[in-house]
Amino acid sequence: MTGLDDYRERARRWLVANASPGDENESEIERAKRFQHALFSAGYAGITWPPEYGGQGLSTDELVAFNEAAADFELPVIPLSIGMGMAGPTILELGTHAQKSRYIPALLRGDEVWCQMFSEPDAGSDVAGLRTKAVRTDAGWLLDGRKVWTSNAQWADFGVILARTDSNAPKHRGITMFIVDMREPGVTVRPLVVATGEAPFNEVVLDGVLVAQDAVLGEVNRGWEAAVAMLRHERVSIGTRVQKRANALGFDNLAELARRRGVTGDVTVRRRLAEAYVRESAVLAYGRVLQAEGKAGIEVGPRGSVAKLAGAELRLWQASVAQEILGPDVALGDPEFDAVALGMVAAPGVATAGGTNEIQRNIIAERILGLPKDGGIADRNTPFNRIRTSRRAGHEAEG
Amino acid sequence: MSLVYTTEQVELAEAVRRFVAERAPLSVVREVAGREAPFDVPLWRALSDELGLTGVIVPAKYGGAGGSVADLTVALRELGAGLVPSPLVASGVLAATALLASVDEDLKFTWLPRIADGSVIGALAVSEPEVEPWVPARPRTVVTGDGSGLRVSGRKSAVLNGPEADILLVHAADGGEAGLYLVEASAPGVVVERAKSIDPTRSLATVTFEECLAVPVAGDAAEILGRVVDATNLALVAEQVGAIKACLAMTVEYAQDRFTFGQPIGAYQGVKHKLADLYTSSALADAALRTATEAADQDSAELVLAAASARALTSPAYVRAAMTTMLLHGGLGFTWEHDAHFFYKNAIAGNVLFGGAAYQLERVATSLSL
Repeated sequence: MTGLDDYRERARRWLVANASPGDENESEIERAKRFQHALFSAGYAGITWPPEYGGQGLSTDELVAFNEAAADFELPVIPLSIGMGMAGPTILELGTHAQKSRYIPALLRGDEVWCQMFSEPDAGSDVAGLRTKAVRTDAGWLLDGRKVWTSNAQWADFGVILARTDSNAPKHRGITMFIVDMREPGVTVRPLVVATGEAPFNEVVLDGVLVAQDAVLGEVNRGWEAAVAMLRHERVSIGTRVQKRANALGFDNLAELARRRGVTGDVTVRRRLAEAYVRESAVLAYGRVLQAEGKAGIEVGPRGSVAKLAGAELRLWQASVAQEILGPDVALGDPEFDAVALGMVAAPGVATAGGTNEIQRNIIAERILGLPKDGGIADRNTPFNRIRTSRRAGHEAEG
Repeated sequence: MSLVYTTEQVELAEAVRRFVAERAPLSVVREVAGREAPFDVPLWRALSDELGLTGVIVPAKYGGAGGSVADLTVALRELGAGLVPSPLVASGVLAATALLASVDEDLKFTWLPRIADGSVIGALAVSEPEVEPWVPARPRTVVTGDGSGLRVSGRKSAVLNGPEADILLVHAADGGEAGLYLVEASAPGVVVERAKSIDPTRSLATVTFEECLAVPVAGDAAEILGRVVDATNLALVAEQVGAIKACLAMTVEYAQDRFTFGQPIGAYQGVKHKLADLYTSSALADAALRTATEAADQDSAELVLAAASARALTSPAYVRAAMTTMLLHGGLGFTWEHDAHFFYKNAIAGNVLFGGAAYQLERVATSLSL
């Protein structure tokens, strides 16, 4: 047995003993914090992070080994995921020694929860078009604006935010990244209700929120580079996490429901189900190829967008096939079909989260196939306050 | 290979790609495809003698290279990318697999070394006119006579490389059981009629047998043909994945070179998004091919499902890719002079022959116990 096998096995045994759901009365956030603290005490928090700030200082081999062991467990990690997967690694990469000492150990211990505030109602695919403003005052920076699709903000102690600090500069060059204390006056967190009726995200309104001069993460007006670094960490974080998530529109579930309805004898249904298997298995196969190539040292790069687009298109196709195979039952509120109904309604959201299909196609065409950027996209070098922002507005009104 | 090709396989791919570029570029294919017989004898000799492809999957004890299925699919991708017309799939894959899957050591030792060195071309005669499935459960072609002098009579359609074949493996029934029989093409009573295929790079024939002397191939015909279907699926998917990538490369290049309204057409999302979709479908087909190849080399029970799934995905994807290639080339893409129509025709033939979409989806459904 190699050292890594041994590491994985020890991790697995620790998880068996410590990953139990625990007390029923415990809230999701309490459970997550308790579990993170246990990880920290056992030496499994921040496996690749520097020991100076409470990490374990090990290699990605150990991280991957731990994640492989963890794949068989449903762990209460969602509330801490933005901190561990995005904010933490970005602070380690760009933060000052003071910032790292202040935030990293508390994050690893499970004491503090983070969120990330990039998207805005008027800046989704074009994140660099964001309008939240930060104005420098003697007391610090004054933040005003509105952020959407903010996961975990309802629990967050801190958030990483992008705000515009220079409207005269082209849009990518006038943005700064800040750390915001979410308990400050002027921060309002509201649930963002989506098409399914659930509220898995939040919107955050910032109304004259004051942050200190040293809350800048990275450099002033270099926030776009910081954001790119953070999104890179997000992709790695998603890529290395092996989580089995049930998809109600997946082949297994659709086949099971079709069997129960007794329609698998119908040749159309049979072939549609077979096609559902064929398409799903190809997307899974592509994921395995990328993983195998990654291990063999072949850069995955923008092919992550191919996996994302293929997964999104699959989910949308599954939503229509579910209707075809299951018929009226999916629309009549029968509890047996609840999960499928929810899955169909959720499909467009799943497809859009993490970047629309159109943006993924641009990335694939430009960065993999080497096709030129659309000549119509002409705002890259235009001062932000001269960019046209809607059909009605000529350009951003204020300077 | 696991899911990643080995250094040797990457080198093999490069060698075949060079060979295709030098010896069988599309300008030569166009010329060969226009002939009465789309079969280029010197090219066939070179595929055998220089690249050793005719016996890739034949074990060394039968005179072959004893290579893996991955080696075969690596080579077929490159040949498919160039639409190289040759009996390699018919002989080196279909006929070779049928013999290998049998338990007939005599026939194996007699014919496999000759198939492996390219001196004999084998073909498989399974489909029958007006019978829908590629491999009928009960062939109408009959066998009469007894052990010493069996005779096959009937008619087979879509026989791949029938016109070039020296030996034919014929699916026939003796009144009771269906079996596989070997008939030499030179035997009296064998009439080979070249079919006018939509795809000029594939040589197809209708073959009529009138009381032709036949040798039974020992083994369970259903099991042998099951293996042949898997091998056919793998071979066609490999060629088609190569062809899709060729369509993509051709169209991406055109989208960069061709300017309209002052910019390359590849800058317009109406064009670039179609190419992104084409890349995505080629990436998925490639992954499905690797998964099925891995199953074949591991002799996994998953092979039937993996190979049929890969085929059900890739064949229609190739038709779409070739059609997109024609459309994105505009009027030029519809001219005879342009190569796009060869890919489109090859895609259509590969999507309906040798077990089309419905056949493969049924095979997938059965494997999944639906």
